[in-house]
Formats: sequence, C-alpha cells, structure tokens
Amino acid sequence: MRGFEPYKVVSALGAIVLLAACGGSSSSSAGLGSGPLLVGVLAPFSGADASFGPRYLAGCIAASLSINGAGGIGGRKVSCQQFDTRGEPADAVPAANQMISSNSNLMGVVGCTSDEASTVVPILDRSHIPMFCMTGQSEFNKTSFKYFHRLVPPDSFDAYAMIGSSLYGPNHAPYKRVALVFGDDIGSQTFVGPAVAALTKLGVTIAINQAIHLGASSYRTEVASMLLTHPDVILTETIGSAGTYLKEVKQQNGGKVIPFIGTSATIDPVWFQQVRDAIGLPDFLANYSAVDLRLTLSGSGYDEFVTQLTAAQATDPGALQYKGKSPTTHLYDGIIMTALAMVAANSSDPTVYNPKIFDIANGVAGATVVSTFKEGVDALKAGKSIRYVGAAGENNFNQYNNSQQGYNLVTMDKDSNEVTIGQLTQTQTQQIIDAGGNA
Amino acid sequence: MNSYYAATLLVYAGVDIIACLALNLQFGVSGIVNFSFIVFQAAGAYTAAVLSMPPDTANGGYQTYVGGFQLPFPIPWIGGALAGGLLAIPVGLVVLRKLRSDYQAIALLVLSVIANSVITNVRPFLNGAAGIAQVPGPFSDQVDPLTQSYQLLYVGLTVPCVLLVWLVASRIVNSPYGRSLRAMREHELAATALGKNPVQLKMTIFIVGGVIGGLSGAILVGFIAVVAPSIWLYPETIILFAAVIVGGRGNNVGVILGALLVPVGFEEATRLIPQTIGGWVPPPNLIPAMQWVAIGLLIIGFLWFRPQGVRPEARRVFEGGPA
Amino acid sequence: MELYVAALGFGLVSVSVIAIAAVGFTMQFGITNMINLAYGEVMIVCAYAAFYVNRAGVNIWVAMIAGALAGAVLSFLLNRFLYAPFQRKGTNLIGMVIVSLAASLMIANVLLAIVGYYSASYVADQGPLVRSNGLVLTTAQIAIIVVAVILMLAIHGLLRYTRLGKAMRATAANPTLARNCGIPTQRVIDVVWLITGALCGVAGVVAGMNSENFTVSSGAGYLIEIIAAAVLGGAGQPYGAMIGALIIGMVTELSAAAIAPEYKEVVAFGILVLVMVLRPQGLLAKRGALAAAG
Repeated sequence: MRGFEPYKVVSALGAIVLLAACGGSSSSSAGLGSGPLLVGVLAPFSGADASFGPRYLAGCIAASLSINGAGGIGGRKVSCQQFDTRGEPADAVPAANQMISSNSNLMGVVGCTSDEASTVVPILDRSHIPMFCMTGQSEFNKTSFKYFHRLVPPDSFDAYAMIGSSLYGPNHAPYKRVALVFGDDIGSQTFVGPAVAALTKLGVTIAINQAIHLGASSYRTEVASMLLTHPDVILTETIGSAGTYLKEVKQQNGGKVIPFIGTSATIDPVWFQQVRDAIGLPDFLANYSAVDLRLTLSGSGYDEFVTQLTAAQATDPGALQYKGKSPTTHLYDGIIMTALAMVAANSSDPTVYNPKIFDIANGVAGATVVSTFKEGVDALKAGKSIRYVGAAGENNFNQYNNSQQGYNLVTMDKDSNEVTIGQLTQTQTQQIIDAGGNA
Repeated sequence: MNSYYAATLLVYAGVDIIACLALNLQFGVSGIVNFSFIVFQAAGAYTAAVLSMPPDTANGGYQTYVGGFQLPFPIPWIGGALAGGLLAIPVGLVVLRKLRSDYQAIALLVLSVIANSVITNVRPFLNGAAGIAQVPGPFSDQVDPLTQSYQLLYVGLTVPCVLLVWLVASRIVNSPYGRSLRAMREHELAATALGKNPVQLKMTIFIVGGVIGGLSGAILVGFIAVVAPSIWLYPETIILFAAVIVGGRGNNVGVILGALLVPVGFEEATRLIPQTIGGWVPPPNLIPAMQWVAIGLLIIGFLWFRPQGVRPEARRVFEGGPA
Repeated sequence: MELYVAALGFGLVSVSVIAIAAVGFTMQFGITNMINLAYGEVMIVCAYAAFYVNRAGVNIWVAMIAGALAGAVLSFLLNRFLYAPFQRKGTNLIGMVIVSLAASLMIANVLLAIVGYYSASYVADQGPLVRSNGLVLTTAQIAIIVVAVILMLAIHGLLRYTRLGKAMRATAANPTLARNCGIPTQRVIDVVWLITGALCGVAGVVAGMNSENFTVSSGAGYLIEIIAAAVLGGAGQPYGAMIGALIIGMVTELSAAAIAPEYKEVVAFGILVLVMVLRPQGLLAKRGALAAAG
C-alpha cells in the first residue's frame, strides 16, 4: 500500500522552545537585549491554501536552528510560531494584531501570501516589524512600506518566464501555439493579462485562453475545446484542479499528454503528487517543466540550509520535502539576513536594524561575502562589513525592497525534487518583459 | 494587549453585533432562514468600497472594478446599507413568495455559493478573486489610518452605528409590526387568517435585514480596507447563525451576547490555544478544523439542550389571558 | 459542432454522477421530510473510505461497495442519533435544516483532521477510449453511465413493484395514516436511510472517479449540484431528481462549450433560479412536497 500521510508536515515548536530554554547562557551584547526572540509565520494554515503555511514554517525552523547553533543573536535564541490567517484578509487582521500584541519579542515575520498581504502588510509596517512576504501582487512592485521585503517576483513575471520557457526552453523547438489554462484564483488571474500582451507582441499564436472554475468536478468539455485548437504547449497553474484537467487531456488525446509549463507555485510536493497520481509518473516527467527564481541550490549557504532542514525533521517530519523549494529557501534567507542585520546594527530595535537588511543583502563596497549566519557573525566581529549570499544565492533589492534574480527553467524528478534544466538570459527576459509592457 | 488589537476586537465586535441583530430580525423574529446573509454584508462592503475608491485607472491599474467615485464619509456607509436593501428586493421576490420555509433556506444557500462564484469569475466587475484592496476608510485623508488615534476614531464611528441598529431592532421587535412577524413565524396560516399578508411582512423584514447587513459590511471594509470573495464564503453565515442560536433567538440582548461569545470570543480564544500540548505538537491544520467542529457542536448542543438560547425571547402573554 | 456532440457525451457522465446522488438526496427528503445538508460531506467520507480500500490493492469497482456500505452505515447513524431525536422532539423544518448544516460542518472538519488537505485519487484503469459519432468516452466513464442506469432502474422497480416501495410511498404521503394502516414506518424509515445512504456512497465514489482528484472540500460543491438537481425536478420526487440531474449536467457541459467555461456552473444555477420563479414547486412535483409549512 502506498503510504498516504496526511500530516507529513508537523510544526516543530515544542523542540524549539526546549532548545531555546536549554541554550541561552552565552554572553549577550548590550544593544541586542536578552531573552528569546520570535519569528512569526503569518500565513494560511487552514482553508484552501492550507499547504502554504507548513512550507514557510519549515524554512523558519531551519533558519532558527542555524542561528541558535551559532550562539543565537547576541546570545538570544530564535524560535518560530505559526499564526493562521485562514487564507483570508478579514481573519488575517486579528491574527496579525494578536501576534503583535502578545509577542513583544517579534524580530520579523515571514509568510504574507497574496491571500492576506493587502491587510497585514500595513499592520506590520506600522508596528515596525520587518517582513519577508510571498505575495505575488503587483501592487507591491513599488511600495512605500519600509519594512516590506520580497524575494519573489510579482506573479506577472512568472508569466513572462513561462513564455521564455516556451520560446527558449531546452529540449524542444520554440513552441508556436500556446494554450493558456488558468484558474479563477488570485494568483492565476494576474498571470493572464501580461501573458496575453507579451505573446501577442512576440508573434506567438495563443491557441486558446481558457479560464476555468477551480474545483469543478470535471473539465471534459474545456479539454475538448482546448484540444480542438491543437496547441504545442499548455501554460498553467490551476492549483487544486490540475490533476483533473491533465488527466482528461491524456484521456481525450489518445493517451498522449501535451507538454505543460507550470508557474513557480507548481513546484510543490502537493501539486506534484496530485498531477502524478492523475497522469502517472512517466508522463509527468516527460511533459512537465516550470519556471522558478534563479536558485543556486549549491554552495556552502545551500549546504547549511539542507543541513538545518534535515535537523528540523526531528520535530517537523515533513521538513525535508521542502529542500530546494523556492519559498522555503527564500524565507530562510530572509530570516538569516534579519538576524545578521540585528548583529550588524547591534540593536534589537527594528527602526535601527531594518535598514541594515538592505545593506546585508546587496552589500556595500568592499563587503565580505558570507553564506551562513555563523560566517556573518564572525566577519562582523572582525569588524568587516558583509554581504549575505545565502541558500538561494545573491539578493539584489531595488529601492522598493523587491529582489529578483532572473529565472531558471526547471522540472521535478520522481521524488518531487527540483531540477534545473536551463536558464533565461537577461536579454531574453527583458525582451519578454518589454513585450508585456510591464516594468 | 496593544491598542490596535483592542481596536480590532471592538470594531469586529461592532460589525458582528450589527450583523447578528439583522439576522435576528430575519431569523429569530420572523423565521426566515437567510443562509445567504453574508452576501448582503458583502454587497454593502463592495458598494462602500467602490464609492470611496478612486477610479481603477488611478492606482497603476493593478485592480479593475466598476465605479470609483471617491465620495466622502458617510456616503459610502449609507450606500453600503442601501445596496444591502436593494439586493434584498429581487432575492426576496424569488425566494420568499412561494417556497416552503426549509426550501427557502436551501435556495438561499445555493444563492450564496453562486454569488461568490460569479464575483470570483467576473474579474472586471469587482476584481475577481483578489478582491478590492486599499479601500480608503472614513476620514483617512485627514487622519493617518496607521495611527492609534485613527483606530480610536474608527471605534468612535462604529459604536453609534451599533446603538442606532440596536434602537431600530428594539423598536421593530416591540412594535405591532414585530408582533405580526412573530405571529407569522409561529403560525403563518393563522396570521394570514387574521388579515396579515405574510409575503409583505417577510419582504419588509428581509429588506430591513439587508440594509443593516449592508451597513455591517461597509463598516468592515472601511476598517480592513479589503473586500474579497474569500471573506464571504457561506460558512461565515453559519457562524452568525450559531451566535443567534446561542444568544437567544428573538431576544436582541441575547443576540448581542451571542455575537460577543461566538464570532468574537470563540474565534479569538482559539488563537490562544498553545501550539504544543504537553510536548505533543499537533499537526498545523488540526486546531482550525476542530474549531469548526466546535461551532457545529455549539449549534446542535444549544438546539437540543437550550433551543431558546442563553437569553430566551421574552414571553409576551396578555396578562388577563389564560397562562 | 464536433465539440457540442462531444460535450453531450461528457454531459452524460456528469448527469450519471449527479443523478445517483440526487435521487438519494431527494428520497430522504420525500420520505423522511429531511433536507439533509450533510449529504455532500457523507459522499466525500465514502469517497475516502473507498480510497483507502482501493489503495490497499482492491479494484475500484469492488472498493465502491465499501463506499456504499460506509454511506449506508453513516447515513443510518446520522438519522438514528441526530435527526430522528430532533424530529421526535418536535423541532420544526427550519431547525432541522440548521441541524443538518451543523452536522455537515462537523463531518467535513473531522474528516479534514483525519485525511488532511491533500488530494486523493483512485488507482483505476480508465480503459480504452471509445469514439463513436463524435462521442469520446473512456470505458470507465461508460461504466459509470451503466451503473447509473442500473441504479435508476432499480430505484424505479423498488418504488413501483415491491411491498417495501409501496410502504415507502405510503410513509411519504402520510406517515400517521401509514402507521395506522399497519406499516412499520420506523423500520421503513431506517431502510430508507440505509438505501439512500448506499446511493450516497456510490455517488461519492463515482464523483471521485469522475474528478480524478478529490479533496475534503469537494463535498460542498457536490451538495450544491445535488440541491440544484433535486429542487429543479421537484424536491422529494425521485423521477424529478433524474430529470433535474439531466438538465443540470447537460447545461453545465454545453455552456462550457458554448459560453465561457468559468461560468458553466453559474449558467446551470441561473436555470434553477428561473425555475424557482416560474414554477417554484419544481418541474415534476405535485402538490404536497411544497405545501405551506405547518
């Protein structure tokens, strides 16, 4: 019997609390204060997007282990706590306010997806809490919130990268006819506009632009009308319904699946399991590709991340399945950078250390490159200025605290590990972005 | 507890009390099982949003919606209330005229699901699944909404609305019209025989409930600055029903108590559940699921053991009549 | 044109799934006077029951029996320990609807705590594709249609030609009178819950096969389609539910072909609203099911 473990993902807070209690006798610098510190994981843990929260929690636990293993932030141990927004903006407001009011030792917050960012970002910003957000909404492209940070691109950029993948991807001639199949959720709805604009400008035929109602019991007619347009490739996200849709493609197309390119949100164990169960592993491996932020997935920063994620399994048995996953990796980096910013500023006052996050990510002239928390602390103690190049590689914040590093073309292997199969050059990406008419 | 959290609780309590008073008029007093109540709240919220927002071309075009009139307070709130009432007219005409009571309930349930699906899919209308964000609240151009004084101001705007709605609801309950409603709830045929027109009675209270529900939505959207399909899924209505049943159907004071106990007290209390229980770490999604089970148990438990609620409806007996 | 013919074929599959479910739902209402809003969630519980049996290596068509059993038992218990006591207590129709909605909420979330948010899918061979006159269906889909037809005929036979069916119809028409005529209405009602529960279970499994992936949250969607079919046909009327299923299923698929697919459900429910305005008693209902509350 194939194992079906509904709760692979279990939070690891108990052990963290224990760890925090057991440690903590090392010297504490005056400016950093004392006592344990907390990172809030403010994200959906229930509702339709309940799988998001555990992803971020795993990254947070790994980061806290890395920091605590190196003596903490001036001796202060870091722990993680989940705050459920239920994936909806109205419930997120009291969740955020309650988190802030009952935790005076909050050093930062990760999470804030498109589901709730529009309500929680202002709340966090007003309370001066540095945050690393996963929202893809373009309203944060040029934001005035100083405590907002984003290491992921707006959703529309995912659309451009997918077009790049169809035009310049490896192992296939440029696709001439593209089908757009997107659901009616927040993320998907923002893909379509930019994608259509860019494809039209670039002279690619949009075979069909299909919006589907997520969660419908079947998509047979949708699939039939899509197949009648004979696309070479399907660009899709359709979280939750991709298995149903693609299975029907396979059935109606005489057992043959059409190549499909997913957004970065599809690089996810849950999405993988669903589609693999629907169309079978060989067809999945043969036809799936996706786009993801350029992650290096190598080097000492990444090794440290994997080590800590492995250690996190002690309390969070599902942690390791997020190895190499962009959200988990990026939020890990965000927390490490926040911690280093505190050490560099020698302060636990966010108004003081928040601006330092930018410096540590982008580096100032002559900065020493570090790739773990420990290296960073050592370099800072030696009086150097540092640049953190972490688990996901370099970060380059713009003036709006958005950092994007271009795209990798990826796929997943049989164990849902991400595998890089190519890259888009800066010129290629820029060409598509220009065609899409979005800066 | 910081003042922002306190303000959030107070405003949410105000919104929930107003909503529960409206639902009580429909369900508690008149016996209309409005399973699409949350849709009326949403109608108020969306209307208040588009009345107070600038045109959608103004903010970079990342969201699309109709309207965008930049009207000052209190027009968005009044508009929201009116929208709730206007929506109640066609819905009431379809549902309330000929259908049996339990039939009305499921028709309204279906309506709630469909309305949500339509708004989610028709993106140009009200920005689809993402909803409308950055809605300016009342006086936000004069007082910075991120400050504590604004939070206080908002509480100050909410409280009079609660009082006003309570006043209206009490007047209705104690008026001859309220008696007719109760008579219809208890025995529609007998009320008809006495010359009361049940369809007219139901339509009126349905519209009144829609107006009040719309107002509650307008207050909510001004505070959280966002309205999206995810905040008005049909289970939200069930929570309000639980509040009315627990508090005491037909009793306004009881219903206020219910609003404070269930949507506010109960939901906030679950945030305080420790995330480790004696070293055992429950799966991250377990507690949210159990919270819904508890809401269900609350409803069933009260209907079984104390159907009249914490504060029962006053028995209105003619003093000279037989007991 | 080709697309519309194909859509008709696909519609048949949807119709079959909805019909199996809606007939059970409407019989519960017609005979026991209970609008069971937990029906969709019971379907999902059964779909999961069959899922675990299927994953243990059992063929899905055999696992379907496990689903049917689970549905029968769960529905029976639901009535015995929740609905019937409330009805005996004299809870009015409105109260019963609220009780069943609360039950639905609880079932969904207990299930959620057990199986989680991950989607499930059966290990099932869809069989070769059959193409005929523009219709494109897999063998498994054809089997679903056959199952539905057999079940509909069986229900027809049961109600029409057996003593039990006669007793059911008598109980539906007037329980007091039926009891006075010596019909053991209590036993009849128990049997009704067992039979409709089994239908609900089978419906859950075929719905799961139809969707390929299903999750706990699919139950609410099923319920809405079922209510639509039952109300459209005239609640409490098994034949009405069949016609309602036919209309809802066909309209859904054809509007996906003709209009935009994201609106396919909206169009189906538009028809429902229209029927509620023009013929509130439903297409088939005679007087009775919709008499004023009393």
